[in-house]
Amino acid sequence: MNSTVLSAVHDFPPLSLREVSVGFGPRTVLARLSLDVPRERWTSIVGPNGCGKSTLLRTLMGLLQPENGRVWLEGRVLADWSRRERAQRVAWLPQTTPVSDLLVRDCVALARFAHTGWLGSLTLSDEAAVEKALLATGVRELAARRLSTLSGGERQRVNLARLLAAECPILLLDEPTTHLDPPHQIDIARILRQQAHHGRGTVVSAIHDMSVALLADEIIVMGMHGLVGQGSVSQALDEGWLSRAFGTSIKVTRSGTSYVWQPDLAE
Amino acid sequence: MRSRPGALLVGLLALVCTCAAGRAADAPIVLFDSAHHELRLEHPPTRIASLLPSLTETVCELQECGHLVVVDRYSNWPASVAQLPKAGGLEDVEIEQIVSARPDVVLVAHAPRVLERLRGLGLVVFEFETQRYADIGRNVTVIGALLGVPERAARLNRQIEDSVEEVAAAARSRLAERAPLVYFEVDSGPYGAGPQSFIGEMLGRIGVRNILTADLGPFPRLNPEYVVRANPDVIFISPTEAPHLIHRPGWERIRAVREQRICSFPPAVRDTIVRPGPRVAEGYRALTECLLRVAP
Amino acid sequence: MSVTRGVAAQPIGSERAVARFGKFKGWVLIYIAVAVLLTGVSLVVGTSSVRTSLGWLMSPAVLSDAVLWDIRLPRTLGAWSAGALLGLAGAIAQSVFRNPLAEPYLLGSSSGAALGVTLSLLVTETSLTGLAWLGQLGLTGAAFAGACAGITLTLALSRGVLQTPSLLLAGVVVAFLLGAIMSLLLLRSPETWRAMQSFLLGSTGFLGWRSVALLAVVLAVSLPPAGLLSRGLDALTLGEDTAWSLGIPLASLRLALLGLLSLTTAASVSQVGVVGFVGLVAPHLVRESVHVNSRQLIVAAPLCGGALLQAADILSRWIIRPSELPVGIVTACLGGTYLVVLLWRKAQRE
Repeated sequence: MNSTVLSAVHDFPPLSLREVSVGFGPRTVLARLSLDVPRERWTSIVGPNGCGKSTLLRTLMGLLQPENGRVWLEGRVLADWSRRERAQRVAWLPQTTPVSDLLVRDCVALARFAHTGWLGSLTLSDEAAVEKALLATGVRELAARRLSTLSGGERQRVNLARLLAAECPILLLDEPTTHLDPPHQIDIARILRQQAHHGRGTVVSAIHDMSVALLADEIIVMGMHGLVGQGSVSQALDEGWLSRAFGTSIKVTRSGTSYVWQPDLAE
Repeated sequence: MRSRPGALLVGLLALVCTCAAGRAADAPIVLFDSAHHELRLEHPPTRIASLLPSLTETVCELQECGHLVVVDRYSNWPASVAQLPKAGGLEDVEIEQIVSARPDVVLVAHAPRVLERLRGLGLVVFEFETQRYADIGRNVTVIGALLGVPERAARLNRQIEDSVEEVAAAARSRLAERAPLVYFEVDSGPYGAGPQSFIGEMLGRIGVRNILTADLGPFPRLNPEYVVRANPDVIFISPTEAPHLIHRPGWERIRAVREQRICSFPPAVRDTIVRPGPRVAEGYRALTECLLRVAP
Repeated sequence: MSVTRGVAAQPIGSERAVARFGKFKGWVLIYIAVAVLLTGVSLVVGTSSVRTSLGWLMSPAVLSDAVLWDIRLPRTLGAWSAGALLGLAGAIAQSVFRNPLAEPYLLGSSSGAALGVTLSLLVTETSLTGLAWLGQLGLTGAAFAGACAGITLTLALSRGVLQTPSLLLAGVVVAFLLGAIMSLLLLRSPETWRAMQSFLLGSTGFLGWRSVALLAVVLAVSLPPAGLLSRGLDALTLGEDTAWSLGIPLASLRLALLGLLSLTTAASVSQVGVVGFVGLVAPHLVRESVHVNSRQLIVAAPLCGGALLQAADILSRWIIRPSELPVGIVTACLGGTYLVVLLWRKAQRE
């Protein structure tokens, strides 16, 4: 895929913010924020409710226009990208999706719009991408069903399949594990990690479930007053970013290859 | 129809009242209106409000025009009426305008909401039925009794009936052999005038045949193909609609359209045809004149 | 990764993997067959009895030919075309707004068109039947311009194209506003009021061949773009954010769809007046009988709408023959009944 060639050639980060401020009316959510999203890693954005995780993701996606500063995609200002090019590079999974009447297969196939355009029909490679995505998220058997007849969890997995079918090098996911029970949440985590490592993709997610969020390669810790820190999970633990961000003492212990979050009720 | 015994009753009552009261200057006036509502006045009203053009015209034909203080916006005859304050139409009456004119009596046609409101405000409201030819004579009589001029009313009635019969008889005799088939369009829809309507009665009296039958009602909304099938000889229609008749699908085949036998009247003339009022003879004249001109 | 962990959704009968495409084609054929049948029925229904009409077909004569081929046939074809336009407009409206209660007149297009016709009638003092046959830009242009003005006002009020709820609200406001202005104007001129009443209740009475031609042209011009844009409509059902992220140009898509909505609605309103419920019910009927994606809905809803208005036209001529009901009243009764049944059935299911 093109992304592998490009990423070898350019050495700027896939996504970055420079002095970006985003607010809603009088409230400023992101204040002069600058950060880089690391390439081919799974980055998790963590932080308390209201700190701006969603806002950050949406700004990275381009759904929100910053009041100041700029968003950069692959070394070019995001605003300069054409719709089609942008859609071929970045895929988005929103927090909530309205319940649609589409067939599962049609929904996932929509991800190929950036490649087919208005007039084109699905080519063999498009169909293959759709099939692969359906299998990866385990919704292949639901392919002929209507989205409105599925449970919340099944719909969520179909949405994820749509994300994967786009075959974009950059994936942005806002709370992808909502509605899912723990086994499926782990499946998601596995898929994201695989996308980042073997699929050479850059994944950024905001997951509020700490034990899943900490499975990522890197984390961006947001506090109520801005960025607390960005780095690997162990770095975050060593430097107490999580306690600083959440304001209460968070006890996180390493357990094998993952981290376990334990609330510390001791005052 | 209940108007027949009603008319008789009112007429009798009026006669009794006026006879007993001489010139009706001192005795109270007791009348029943078309809704059988009793009306009681101490003396003939000097301030009259009229909310229907035909009633306005009746009052003026009875030489009591000077007593009118407020009329509706559609009353336009005689010319002196134009100076009077206008109180809207029948459905959208300007209540304040009427009340501030302090009328002794308000003459209306059937309009329940208006009636309730005006009566609720303490005004004396008299309701009239104004649909058919027979209503003209009755209303003249009643208004005459109301205004204390019954002889004038009787004279006016005779005069109306005489002129109408004169025109109608002449028309009948001249149209007898031709007996044209006629369609009178009242409104685009299309709505036609059936034999039971006021206009239909006029057409019947002057001896033409109506394409509509009585069972359709006074103003039925027609399927346009009905007119095409009936193939009338003459069509009565408004002047704005007349040039477009030929464009109505299928209507170019109608004899009246093909041979341009169309009768249109300017609004002033049309008023005499559609209003069941004292100028009805002029309406007859207009109809007849056009018919004699265009009928085959 | 196993599928049925957790609560499994019940498969509903129609969702089983039937040859979906085949079923859709079947319904298309049904709608076309119904239209042909209704056209035939329309030829024999009217002010004459069925027997008489059949007699006419056997032995042609000048007047009966006029009734059959100059009145009844164009009338039913015009009704079908107008119904198809309304069905298409309804499908577009419901897709753009993602709201099953959306209908073509949502954005103030009907009140705009009505106001345009009122102004035109007042200014030029032309008649209402001039409305139906004028294939030129005259009154149709006034209705179309009015519809566009209504929609433009709605867009301006909602400050842009991207916020659906404010669009709907603005549409309601504009409908009231323009309706009030129209009532004010009509009050001053009672003759025009009577003419407008006919328009506002809807009438297929004066549809001739010119009207049919106009309606057919607009339909032919509107269907291909609508079919093309249906992919964007599918994406829109997943939410605006998702659609945007897929590369759908939201603003342009909206504008194009609203343009189509305005064109189809204006054309229909200019020929048959304000006929309600067809645009609302046709997409529902289609979705209740077969599941469709946006492109298939764009094809099926016009077919359904056309048949609906044809049926309504026949009923309006037959029920109180030789008088006729305004077709808008018939569609209101039929459509209203259907919606009540729909609601009742939905309540039963829950």
